[in-house]
Amino acid sequence: MRTGPLSCLLLLLASNAWAHRLDEYLQATRVSVATNRVDVSVDLTPGVAVADQVMAAIDTDRDGRVTEDERAAYTRHVLKDIRVRLDERVLALNVAESSFPNLLEIKAGLGVIHIKATATVGPLTAGRHVFSLTNAHLPSISVYLVNALAPKDPAIRITKQTRDDLQKDYRLEFGVNAPRR
Amino acid sequence: MQALAFLRHTTPVLFAVVTLLGLLGTARAGAAAVGNAPQVVGAANAFLESLDGPQRGKVSFAFDDAAQRVRWSNLPVSMAEHRGLRMGDLKPAQREAAMKLLATVLSKMGYEKVVGIVESDEVLRKQSSKGAPAFGRDEYFISFLGKPSATEPWMIQFGGHHLALNITIAGERGVLTPSLIAVQPAKFTLDGKTVRPMGRETDKALELVKALTDEQRKQAILGSQMRDLVLGPGHDGETIQPEGLKTSTLNDSQRKLLLELVAEWSGIIHDTAAAAKMNEIKANLADTWFAWSGPLEAGKAYFRIQGPTVFIEYAPQKLGGDVTMHIHSMFRDPTNDYGKKFGGK
Repeated sequence: MRTGPLSCLLLLLASNAWAHRLDEYLQATRVSVATNRVDVSVDLTPGVAVADQVMAAIDTDRDGRVTEDERAAYTRHVLKDIRVRLDERVLALNVAESSFPNLLEIKAGLGVIHIKATATVGPLTAGRHVFSLTNAHLPSISVYLVNALAPKDPAIRITKQTRDDLQKDYRLEFGVNAPRR
Repeated sequence: MQALAFLRHTTPVLFAVVTLLGLLGTARAGAAAVGNAPQVVGAANAFLESLDGPQRGKVSFAFDDAAQRVRWSNLPVSMAEHRGLRMGDLKPAQREAAMKLLATVLSKMGYEKVVGIVESDEVLRKQSSKGAPAFGRDEYFISFLGKPSATEPWMIQFGGHHLALNITIAGERGVLTPSLIAVQPAKFTLDGKTVRPMGRETDKALELVKALTDEQRKQAILGSQMRDLVLGPGHDGETIQPEGLKTSTLNDSQRKLLLELVAEWSGIIHDTAAAAKMNEIKANLADTWFAWSGPLEAGKAYFRIQGPTVFIEYAPQKLGGDVTMHIHSMFRDPTNDYGKKFGGK
């Protein structure tokens, strides 16, 4: 019987000082820019005390099971809440991959939802560009991290990253070198 | 020396403590002349020889076992799969041999830090309610990837809750990256002595940030909250864009403080490998960055040191109430995690 130990675990997670993620929904985003695409990867980790709120957004029919359709819908929901722009132009993020932990892991505050999405751009012209991201997903329970991965393309130079205090709003300034002739 | 202070006392507790206490006299003596491959290989083989056949099978993995290589976490072992041999399942002599190996492959400082982290988990065990996840000094696992060799690369993994040492050895060379070094509680009392397994890095970081000029500090401080590690478990192979203060702007005394801080991670491995690593870090200092987020108070702020061959993050955790009592940190080398420069994967 799995619910017994889980209940104990949840009780302990909620009450003991050792517990890992508790009352926050950590959304850690990595941004990778290239001259023809922007990749956005998000790791979403619900703490045990907010897991029910996250589960309510995933298990929308409240039947205690998460179907493939519900996973896909939640992935779309997250990406709809993450608004990205490049040089003031709104980008459409398309799901590249996603994975979900099982329900028990989510309820125990141990599960990480991974979502990777891509926006096709460009090819970007040489010069300065600005990428911006706003994460408005479940703001009342969430904390955020956003970082740019070091570009693999040597033509791209990141010049500045700025964020608001909570890292809900992020701005990435970068330059693209002119191709060598 | 705080981490060792309590070990010098012969408080009668569980056998495991006796084992650890004994190591001060035996294992540390072996560590006095660390840095050569025969000693490390000898300690590894002595441990293997102390095991029976099934145990040897359980502790040994192929060097290229990609799944085992990344099977580490900051979570308690009952919440994240660990393979290898559990310390609590070893006989006293086997456990002593395992700890002697650690004492040989780590520096004196590194060994003390590791023992302190394990002991902090023992404190958690004693504080935990019945039915809590597995904590304590029995809940750490040791495994080998590849065979101990004085010439070919091989790995030792030792870890459990809040600790993941991934040590790749290749002859005289050795790397400790990636390793998770964390602790909760970060400060505890044993036999009347205060123990802070990550106390020096906490204090040195504050000393460094306070030693910066106003202009340098302005550059170092990130204008946002950092609630966790960016490149914690599961983020092998990723490199983020560096931010903060470029350390080429540091004066001699500031640079000294920075390197002393870095040494709290780079110096965990045995002295020969640590010296090589430090030389490498010094050689790349002009392209290294220091970033800080949070108040100018000990243990309350996130910081990061990032250079071409080093990536250190220190992230106090809000979880559990007092952020100064729960610390996560990562030590990585973007060019040589798992010893890939030595022929590792």
